[in-house]
Amino acid sequence: MLAAVRAEWFKLVRRRALWVTIGLMVALAVGIEYFLVYIVATHPPAGAARAGAQLSALRTGLYPDSVIKKSLANASGLVGIFALIVGVLAQGSEYSWATVKTTLVQLPGRISIVGGQLASLAALALIMTLSLFIADAMASYVIATIDGNSAAWPSVIDLLKGIGAAWLILYFLTVLGFGLATAFRQSAMAIGLGLAYVLVIENLVFGLLVNLGDTFKQIQEWFPIANAGYLQDSFGRASGAVAAAVAGPPPVDAAHAVIVLALWLVGVAAVSATLVRTRDVT
Amino acid sequence: MGSGATNVLLSRDAARVGGARVEVIATPETTDLDGSHTVVSVPARGATLVETHELSKQYSGGVLAVAGLSLTIRAGEVFGLLGPNGAGKTTFLRMLTGLIKPTSGTATVAGGSPGSPHSLAHVGAMIEAPAFWPYLSGRDNLRLLARYCRLPDTRVAAVLAEVAMTEHAHRPTGTYSTGMKQRLGVAAALLKDPALLILDEPTNGLDPQGMVEFRNLIKNLGTGDRTVLLSSHLLNEVEQICTRIGVIRRGKLVTEGTIDEIRGGTELIVRAQPADQARLVLEKTYGADHVSVRDGAFSLRVDMSQTATIAKSLVMSGIDVTELRPAERSLEDVFIELTGTEGGS
Repeated sequence: MLAAVRAEWFKLVRRRALWVTIGLMVALAVGIEYFLVYIVATHPPAGAARAGAQLSALRTGLYPDSVIKKSLANASGLVGIFALIVGVLAQGSEYSWATVKTTLVQLPGRISIVGGQLASLAALALIMTLSLFIADAMASYVIATIDGNSAAWPSVIDLLKGIGAAWLILYFLTVLGFGLATAFRQSAMAIGLGLAYVLVIENLVFGLLVNLGDTFKQIQEWFPIANAGYLQDSFGRASGAVAAAVAGPPPVDAAHAVIVLALWLVGVAAVSATLVRTRDVT
Repeated sequence: MGSGATNVLLSRDAARVGGARVEVIATPETTDLDGSHTVVSVPARGATLVETHELSKQYSGGVLAVAGLSLTIRAGEVFGLLGPNGAGKTTFLRMLTGLIKPTSGTATVAGGSPGSPHSLAHVGAMIEAPAFWPYLSGRDNLRLLARYCRLPDTRVAAVLAEVAMTEHAHRPTGTYSTGMKQRLGVAAALLKDPALLILDEPTNGLDPQGMVEFRNLIKNLGTGDRTVLLSSHLLNEVEQICTRIGVIRRGKLVTEGTIDEIRGGTELIVRAQPADQARLVLEKTYGADHVSVRDGAFSLRVDMSQTATIAKSLVMSGIDVTELRPAERSLEDVFIELTGTEGGS
């Protein structure tokens, strides 16, 4: 297994497209969630309906003490989409290049190879998470400095919890992309269906079903995208472009959300490993 | 199985145990928790290296690609699997490497089940067109594969030199020509210094000069103790490279043997005068079913050991024998005869 981890990491770190994707992800996250919001907050359109207090809240939400909320909002939104795409690319390309057969006639065995891939993606998700937090922290510091405010940072414990939560969300989405690419043996279908699920399907289906009764609300509490949102909300809701427009506290606590996301992660990984182990490579 | 620990092919020594030559190879399955290695024997030259029994593969669409194929390949052979396109050669090789699972039948490759780490430790394979990570250089592609197998980077340099690719190893494989990819594919298959090298249509897509170079390369690889299993639909390629061949048609092995055995067959050409009398004698002795006339000569399907008896019986009957020799059919004749009109080139 260690040999497979080393090999997979060797392969991942040399793939420029992944680093470009991660760089683009960080740039967009900071550009949209910080600087675009800052411009809107400081230069509201004439006749804007927002009250001064709301604009002020939008602006102070960009300061360092809100960096965890902002980063988690990013992880559940824009950055999460990139994580899904990274997961798809990591596995889908193996099928499109036919390198899956090159890999499988080497030594480690199929399960070890999948283990190596998932371990490498875990490390990559951590790099994405840390890049996001560092970029967000720098952006918030710049904005606070521009506004002449002193930078008050969250506690280290809260920061570590936030990083852990963001990593879990991003790693789950990466593994989801990996699993879809494994199932469809290609990238295009996996990205399409993955985006549709993350952005629309789960929310749309439960958005309709919850009107039929509380049972469906309870069922939704065991689905991954909902729990990514609950985990994010457990740190407080961020202000900004992709802030959740949901009133009231999240229906489940952070521990529940972590467990559900972890279960989904393990489930998707297990299905992927089973598919790789049992399917013919033609 | 020893443990989850892996330590592979870092040592390879030859020894004699009870008079028989065995190779000592450390494989994942033979590495114990404490890192010590258990002795595993790889068949000595002439011993069975690949054995399949009634191996079959039916795809989900109902296509029967391989139908009860039983085959034995011995260590040290350069075995050619010959058959027209779509005969089932690639499917068979995929089963031997564990890429696909047989529907029925059994196979043993290098002492293990196909695709198991034990088997793969001794097998290097290039199945169909070699596939590489296009953004990595040739050298980095091999370094990556070496990491999977826990091999040192020095092994990469050695195999690059063996296939004459050192000069181009720094370039991304996405920029390689077909011939360069094929060479790198062979280098990848050689990384583990395998006892069995499986090459599936290795000269596909090469120009004539490239084919000649590649054949020489494969011939060199087949010298010594290494066993080569080569599939091809190119008759002259197989004829030039292989020591033994199997002809496969519609997933079935239709014949197997050395090239001379297959080409020579069991036919004797006889020219004798007077022809009418000669025919009577031959048909009376061997049966009309075994005698045919071709280009003014008789063709007899009999055992070669009968040559002297045939000559004697004709002469004793007062017939002049002007020619008596084994039929020399080309491999192409045999191939067409065995595979019908499916071709091959």
